[in-house]
This record gives sequence, structure tokens and C-alpha cells, in this order.
Amino acid sequence: MPHLSLDRRDPATQSEGVVPGYAQTSQRWPSQPLVRRPQTQSELTGPQNLARRLGTVRGDLAGHGAKRALGQLIHVRARVVDEDGVPVSGAVVEVWHCNAAGKYIHPNDTNDAPADLNLYGAARMLTGDSGLVELRTIKPGAYPVPDTGGWWRPPHVHFSVWGKVWLARLVTQMFFPGEPLNEFDAILNAVRDPEARARCIARLAPTSQGPAVALVYEYQLVVRGRKAAPDMP
Amino acid sequence: MKRLIPTAEMTIGPFFPPEFTQGTNDLTVFDGRKAAGEVIEIIGRVTQLDGKALDNVVVEIWQADSKGRHDNAEFQGWGRAATDADGVYRFRTVKPGAHDGRAPHINFLLLYSGLMRQLQTVMFFSPAADPVLDAVPVSVRPRLIAKREGTVYRFDIRLRGDGETPFFDD
Repeated sequence: MPHLSLDRRDPATQSEGVVPGYAQTSQRWPSQPLVRRPQTQSELTGPQNLARRLGTVRGDLAGHGAKRALGQLIHVRARVVDEDGVPVSGAVVEVWHCNAAGKYIHPNDTNDAPADLNLYGAARMLTGDSGLVELRTIKPGAYPVPDTGGWWRPPHVHFSVWGKVWLARLVTQMFFPGEPLNEFDAILNAVRDPEARARCIARLAPTSQGPAVALVYEYQLVVRGRKAAPDMP
Repeated sequence: MKRLIPTAEMTIGPFFPPEFTQGTNDLTVFDGRKAAGEVIEIIGRVTQLDGKALDNVVVEIWQADSKGRHDNAEFQGWGRAATDADGVYRFRTVKPGAHDGRAPHINFLLLYSGLMRQLQTVMFFSPAADPVLDAVPVSVRPRLIAKREGTVYRFDIRLRGDGETPFFDD
């Protein structure tokens, strides 16, 4: 059965359109207004067992011993909840990020920064009953964006998450607190509402909590939809 | 209970791991089971304002099975592809059935560098009465109808500019 219809996106807490300083947006975002459509069963259902299609692996990118990736060891606790704050269990979560020098393992990355043979910067995980995934990795570096006259991306981790229904898909980026580049980033600052921006920045947990060797960051991902656990009658 | 505001979506960027889009564009086999229904291919090219074909666009689809049911044991109905260097994506699937007042259709979601958030559109198989197709201005409705070439349905997507594909806000 379909879920309840979803509330419309709030343009102040979501970014869209052509963004100053991010040239590709003017080639790619539609010029015509987006069409408002009714929400039917087709949009209010979604794959419930995506992990059977997309294999998951443990969220350990940092490696161990001689195979440890270079950089500051971090432990990211990311929780997926719906708009009621109900944890979304069994949700597939994909993460990817660059190495401590700002280099991605990707053929399209032309940044002249060294690769780290011990860092494979991508993982796919499944949330548990509390909606939580835990990622052990190293803190990614900042890097310059080519042909932009000085735009540097602040350190960030990409997230791709599935809520319970087709319309609840969420792809976003997690930022780190206290990074001076956060203030100038064309992507983070395209979100107009300052509180919505602040929610995109992870919280550093007290260093007395969690594994003593890693800095712990906590992050909450809110997917669209309400009462994630039960299907609506 | 205090309502939480959905997290701001952000661009997928240019570095989505290539292996995340491999082996996920054939919907006709799921968990070792073959889907019932008419097997079809969907092929399309994604272009931007200046007409350039776009490489590594992530395209995800969601559809009903041949009888119009969602997410059953034989057919999950979800798939993902990435465009190649010629801007072309491909899916192999079964033709969805009509259901709940909807004409047969496939939901599309696009993620790409330069798109601040996901773009949603819908592919139809023929002009038909459908509440989502009817929401689109009449003059551009034909852009949502795939062109049939044998067992291949061609569905090109223009993000912006001449022949721009209609996209939806939800």
C-alpha cells in the first residue's frame, strides 16, 4: 500500500536552479518551471529490499596497520530518520569522499594531488534498527574546483540514501564543523536558510566518547516521509 | 511530535564511484528469478543547454511490473544506469502495466554535477489519459512519450534548452 503523501519541498531549505559561482548549473538546470504533479501510488511506493540488489559492505575505509590510509582517523555516526524523527531501518546508505590530500579515486578527477593507495573512498552500508550507520574512515581534504577562479571545496563526505518511497530519495553532502571554507562554498551556501545549512554540518562528539584513536562525528539525515516504520493502512 | 525538516539535497558531483552504477541496469532478473512480461530496452541520450552529451549522469528508474504491481518477489522495479561518453544510458526491463488510474509509465530520477538536487521526469509509452501526464502543458507532452524502434524505446532527455524535457516538482 502507498504511504501518505509527502509535503512539498521548501525552497528555503532546499537548493535548486542556477547558482552563482557554479557555472554548470546554467547549462543543466531546466529553464521551465518544474511541473507540479499529483502523488499517486507510483511515487509513494519504492523498493523495500534494495540491499538485495545493491550489495553492502562494512563501513571501514581507513584500513589497518601498514594498510592504514593517511590522514586523521574519524568515525562517522550517521542516522537516517524521517520527518517524524522515526529511524529508517534497512535503508541503503552509500558514501564516498576524497583522500586527505583532496584526491578522488575517479577517472574524472584531474586534481594534481597524490593518490593514497590505502584509501578506497567508497562504501555502501545498511542502517540498523536505530537508523544508524557507522563509518570508520579518514577526514577528507579540501580541493580546488577547476576553472572557477579560486573555489575550493571544503572537506565533505557524499551521502546517497533511500527513504521508504520513491520520492524520499536523498543525495547530499556532510560538512565538518569549524572549516573556514564552509563559509565560501557555492554548494553549501546555495541553501538559503542558515539553519538548514547548519544541519548539513556534522557535530563533533566529545573526544571522551567513542574510540580514543578517532574523532567522532555525528550526523543526521532526514528523509522525506512520515512514520517510516509501519506502512500506512 | 516536532516535525523535522528534510535534509537539504546537494549535487552528486562529478565523482560518483563508477562501480555503484555497474550491473544495476537490467531489471528483468532479480534474485535469480526472471520477470514475467514483455522484455524491452530503454535507451536515451542526456544533453545540456549547448547540446553537449553528458558523461556519467546517474539515471535511476522505478516502475510497476507487467501487471501493474510494485515491488514484488519476481520483479523489484528499481534500476540504475550511468550515461557513457556519448551521453547514452541503457536499461533492460519489462513493459509496466497500467494501475490505479495511471497509464503505463516509468519514473526517472537524474543526478549530476551541476544539478543542485535530483530531477524527476516520467517516460510514457503512448499518449494516454494519465493524471501526471495531464499535469504537463499540452505542447510539451510528446517529449515524455518514448519513440518505439522494435523492442527498443528511445527516451532522450534534454536538461535545458531546445526540446527541454518537462521535469516535475513533488
